Amino acid sequence: MSGLKKIMLAGEGGQGVQSVAAILSEAAYAAGKEVMYIPNFGVEQRGGVSIAFMQISDEVIGSPKFDDADIIVALSDRAIERVQMYVNPNTVYVYDANISDAAKAKLPAESDVAKLQEIAAHHIANTELHVRVFNVIIMGAVLGLTNIVSVDDVKKALDHKFQAKFEANPSLRDMNYTALEKGISLVG
Amino acid sequence: MATKPIEKDTHAFVTGNEVVAWAALAADAQIMYGYPITPQNEIMHYWTRLAPKYDRKFLQTEDELSAGFTTCGGVLTGTRSFTATAGPGTILMQEPITMAEMMRIPIVVVVQQRGGPSTATVIYSQQEARMCCYGGNGEGFRVVYSSSSHQDLYDFTIKAFNTAWKYRFPTIVLGDGYQAKMREAVTMYDPASRGISMVETEQFLGAPGLPGTDREPHFHKNTYNTEEELLEVVNKLKEDYDAVRAEIEEHECEYIDDAEIVIVGHGVVSRAVKEAVKLLRKEGYKAGYFRPITLRPFPGTALRKAVEGKKDIVVVESALGQLKQFMTEELYGCTVPITGYFKPGKGVSSAEIVEKVKSMTK
Repeated sequence: MSGLKKIMLAGEGGQGVQSVAAILSEAAYAAGKEVMYIPNFGVEQRGGVSIAFMQISDEVIGSPKFDDADIIVALSDRAIERVQMYVNPNTVYVYDANISDAAKAKLPAESDVAKLQEIAAHHIANTELHVRVFNVIIMGAVLGLTNIVSVDDVKKALDHKFQAKFEANPSLRDMNYTALEKGISLVG
Repeated sequence: MATKPIEKDTHAFVTGNEVVAWAALAADAQIMYGYPITPQNEIMHYWTRLAPKYDRKFLQTEDELSAGFTTCGGVLTGTRSFTATAGPGTILMQEPITMAEMMRIPIVVVVQQRGGPSTATVIYSQQEARMCCYGGNGEGFRVVYSSSSHQDLYDFTIKAFNTAWKYRFPTIVLGDGYQAKMREAVTMYDPASRGISMVETEQFLGAPGLPGTDREPHFHKNTYNTEEELLEVVNKLKEDYDAVRAEIEEHECEYIDDAEIVIVGHGVVSRAVKEAVKLLRKEGYKAGYFRPITLRPFPGTALRKAVEGKKDIVVVESALGQLKQFMTEELYGCTVPITGYFKPGKGVSSAEIVEKVKSMTK
């Protein structure tokens, strides 16, 4: 299928993967793409593994779930386990550096995927920016790995989503934009 | 007077639950009765947010039994009413649905299937197909539309109200947790702009005029004293149902004429089936696609015609053979072998269907 990108974001509930997926898919839809986004989580009120499945294409999209991901972003120990069955030789696999050594041992071998990349999003968010823009750094990383939508479209989607907050405090907008750019540069 | 909720075509990127709420508004539903259960909650949430703007009502009940019965009550007063539920809620809903069958009360129920048995998952399945068609003590005198996309959810929800009120059988829109929660594009419209007029509702209880003098008496009952009486009533229900089933039955098929193998799926799984058939065709496999849209009444005649003389039938579903059971009954005597590809409670991708078919033809 032409230009189909299958993206999987997985993290702990609360890390913001669903927000990232929602904003990216909104942006792609607004840019005229065919988009399918489906969240996946357990029965826990909080704290389970949260997974977002996204498909973006120039053509109408078939089933909402897929078996093999083009891009995987895994953000926690448990997420590493949950994404395992979606890894294939064409997968671009990104994980946050802030996972345990035991989880790192479960990562695919570099030779088994198209690209395996560690990013220090958690560290950067906590030391350079703000813990709350962790997921915006992740959004930047996804954007950097694929040209599904333009950076400007995503900025527009962010503006739309956080309009009230940005108007009340313009520095928040700058911080979000910085986090986005930072994420892009991490995978560049 | 509130304006129409949808005046002109509106393109939106929303969840399926939101689509259902908008469709019910557009279909001129006046009230929703409901009790929360994932993954249908947001139908209620959106409805309660939107309803006051358009003079519509909402009643939260103490459970799904009550939600079903209050929906029946709303309909009896001549009010276009609906409810929505899932999983264990669909089980409780069976008693009111059977009352609606017996008393010919045109209720509309939207079901967003979750995993089963019991609480299971809040995510997805196609395990409520059998229950939606035949649950309850009775014979399944109801209509079930199985939707596969947001556009279906919008179209079928509107259609369900008309089917229910036209034929006076309880009507179910069967979605699932995927469709409930996923976001994809949909075009929402004013039914009138598509030439769809909503069937007039009618007050069944407490209608004006003296019964027997000014109007025919309305006689709604679900209790009978003798076996003979009941036999007559149920036979009449069957006769009425059979008389309209051909009008209600719907299906969709592609690449059937020269197909050697027909792949069948309903609901969201039919999307994977259709995609798989296209992929197989590209590789030279003579595959065809068949999708029952109504699961009850089941488009058996169309299915039989589609599979006649073929080499193989493959049934794909996120349940352990519920669709296959419907098909087997309809295809009795047909000698084409049926192979099941079952993933109870789990999604199915086009890639795995392709693989399955290839493994069969090796």
